[in-house]
Amino acid sequence: MKQRILSLLAALALLAALAAGCAAPAEQPLVTLEDLPAYSGAAYVAVNGNEPYFTQSEITGEGYEMYSDLDELGRCGVTCASVGPELMPTEERGNIGSVKPTGWHTVKYDCVDGKYLYNRCHLIGYQLTGENANERNLITGTRYLNIEGMLPFENLVADYVAETGNHVMYRVTPIFEGDDLVARGVLMEGYSVEDEGDGVLYCVFAYNVQPGVEIDYATGESWLAGEGAADSGDGLAYILNTGSMKFHDPACPSAADIKESNREEFTGSREELIARGFSPCGRCNP
Amino acid sequence: MIAIVCLDDRNGMCFNGRRQSRDARLRREVLDMAGGSRLWMSPYSAEQFSREGGGTICVSASFLEKAGEGDYAFVEDRALAPFAEKLEKLVVFRWNRAYPGDRYFDLDLSDGRWRREEARDFPGSSHGKITMEVYVR
Repeated sequence: MKQRILSLLAALALLAALAAGCAAPAEQPLVTLEDLPAYSGAAYVAVNGNEPYFTQSEITGEGYEMYSDLDELGRCGVTCASVGPELMPTEERGNIGSVKPTGWHTVKYDCVDGKYLYNRCHLIGYQLTGENANERNLITGTRYLNIEGMLPFENLVADYVAETGNHVMYRVTPIFEGDDLVARGVLMEGYSVEDEGDGVLYCVFAYNVQPGVEIDYATGESWLAGEGAADSGDGLAYILNTGSMKFHDPACPSAADIKESNREEFTGSREELIARGFSPCGRCNP
Repeated sequence: MIAIVCLDDRNGMCFNGRRQSRDARLRREVLDMAGGSRLWMSPYSAEQFSREGGGTICVSASFLEKAGEGDYAFVEDRALAPFAEKLEKLVVFRWNRAYPGDRYFDLDLSDGRWRREEARDFPGSSHGKITMEVYVR
């Protein structure tokens, strides 16, 4: 495991311009990687005694949502919302396969639930603000981060809002080390507004790890735990159209339209497919 | 004592001193179930029943010690294992959702001492499907 020493400060990119309600002093990191314990089997750990860092001036009972601009490396930053009934989705979730967050790889492992190591993880979950293919709200996150780390908090807030009609201040901050393309995890904060935190109050760090798999956070490359980087995974996964001789990212909307008789799954390298006469889909550009 | 608990997919009850979820329809079910019997709960739980109210609700910080035979006890933020011998029956409401948890249900219902007598689903006021299970010894 090429576990990097979590020694660098991960100053959280805090925006001031778009949402005064979520602004914070840009020079003052809420938490650093140095402050956080190494992953030790729990999908998330409480930070700051489970007290979120919202200041009184940031808290509002008026629904809004804010997503940071991507940084110079194309990475997501702080996302923040006052989640209320007015923001929650009323339509079926749409396709997000067109977004390729930094560090994205389509790679499968048998030890991962659903096989795919990486998910396009919503920073603010779809069930809270109804955001689909918003590149400022999607990071490369492991299945474990998505399902074990983040989803429980999204459920907690979504069900609280649906039941009470109240608002919850909701902030998610991806934390990167240096110029890494894949976040080490996310800081998640929640505070129910109308009852002043009686209903919802938490501040946790959720780890972007996958048990059984090791990750190079600089690039997103991965390999089975206990094996070297050179032995990486099972290769990338693609969907083939043997009629058009195109290959697709499994999440590509066009892949869903392939006739069953022309559809094949493939795990291996891109170069191998091109050598076999396939060309990449122009829509998903796998 | 007949204990009533609400659990998520991981048998969680609370996180950071707060219940994992709440549902008005579930509270109605609890009140209907208790009927004319005493329904014990903590001051914390009584806060969420304040809208429904009810003459049979008894509130005490030591409600599990006080609940007697035939009484109901709505348990959100307490360990039940120390009172296992008092339990005549157990009612489990399952949210069918995963929530964060740091307090978990502490009885093992698969240890052979409990038998599931009844199970049914119903829609909550905000939860799509809540499952009610009744366990007897």
